[in-house]
Amino acid sequence: MASRASRRARYLPENKLEISLFPFLSIFLSVMGVLSFINILSSIHSPQKIKMTTELEAGYKVAFQMFSLPDGIIIVPPVSRLKKLQENVADEEVRNKLTQIIAQRESFINNVKAYKGPLDDFAVEPKVDDIVNLLKEIRFINEEALKHNFLYEEFILFGIYPEGGEAYRKVRDVMARSSDAASISIGLEPLDANWTLNIDGTPTVDKTQREAQ
Amino acid sequence: MNNIISVDSLTDIISNSVGILIIFAVISLINDNNKSYQLEIPIEHQSDLSPVFIIAKDDALLRLDTDKLFANAAMQATEGAAANKRTFPLGYGQLLGQIDDEKGIVFHARDIEDSKEWHHFNTLEKADSELKKQLNTIDPKRQFAYFFVYDEVGDSNISGSGFEAFRKAREYLKSRGVKSGWKPVDTDNPAHICDMSFSPLCKYLPSYLGSS
Repeated sequence: MASRASRRARYLPENKLEISLFPFLSIFLSVMGVLSFINILSSIHSPQKIKMTTELEAGYKVAFQMFSLPDGIIIVPPVSRLKKLQENVADEEVRNKLTQIIAQRESFINNVKAYKGPLDDFAVEPKVDDIVNLLKEIRFINEEALKHNFLYEEFILFGIYPEGGEAYRKVRDVMARSSDAASISIGLEPLDANWTLNIDGTPTVDKTQREAQ
Repeated sequence: MNNIISVDSLTDIISNSVGILIIFAVISLINDNNKSYQLEIPIEHQSDLSPVFIIAKDDALLRLDTDKLFANAAMQATEGAAANKRTFPLGYGQLLGQIDDEKGIVFHARDIEDSKEWHHFNTLEKADSELKKQLNTIDPKRQFAYFFVYDEVGDSNISGSGFEAFRKAREYLKSRGVKSGWKPVDTDNPAHICDMSFSPLCKYLPSYLGSS
């Protein structure tokens, strides 16, 4: 028994090393405060993200999306179900035309995705000829789908950002006077400035980017 | 030094709190990145329902009393006040009217703060609000709501000044089974009501389905 006590006494240091915990506490408290602050800030200011995918469907209706911004429009055409339609088409001429449209659309989407700057800059002022061609294209696709008994119909879905009404009105003005647009359905939805536009990892439009312009 | 207060338990609590906060921060970051809002896809469609016109501006809504407005406009027109696209007071909701060959009757909404006919969309939450009473008069079997929504960015918000009011009213109407449609307007292109015989743009269609 005595040997245990003497052993313990032998190994205990004479003066216990005292470490002040104040710096650690200070750091902990600072980190906690900063994290709380970031949490509160992010919960207040984090932009709501709306995932606008390239394939937005309502039953057999597939959205040809047009985002209307102050500087113009950004179009996001659908592709994947169009490929299925193309596979169902027997007529070679129509098939080739659909292949061409798909290639153009894929190329356009890839360009949007590859663009690294603010997406606002990608908006282009709608030109009458371009809108007319788009309407012709959508009409052609819808008519071919109907002919081939394939449940597929493209409609134009406008996403209207604040002060984006001008570009929208221009497109609607052309549509109102075009016979190609008569059979095309239209939808429209208001989008807030801080609602981001995600196209499968493409750059996003948010408030900071808008203000930076 | 022997009487130093032990801060082990305090350190323990604080470090636990920090750990939990870090976990919260990471979770909220992950959630924010993955959060997506599913929008109901609205599609315009032909309808036998007649439109009830509403203007949404600066977070406020004004249901247009078309009988009163058209009567006032007709009176002003007969008195010559509406000639040469001049604007004239309509005596309702601080609106100024204008007769246009292509657009029909144009409604300029200015200085609406002092008007008692405009109602903030927040009042929809009150059981006996005037706005609610007005929207409740829309009969879903005969009518639908058509909104002229100001898309200009207001002083106090970053969105279109009428967007939030429009969304709230649309949600409320949807719960009552009332369909709704809308178009963006601004100061240079204000709300206007015209007949299809004037222009193909004079179409007012519902695009949002009311729930049954």
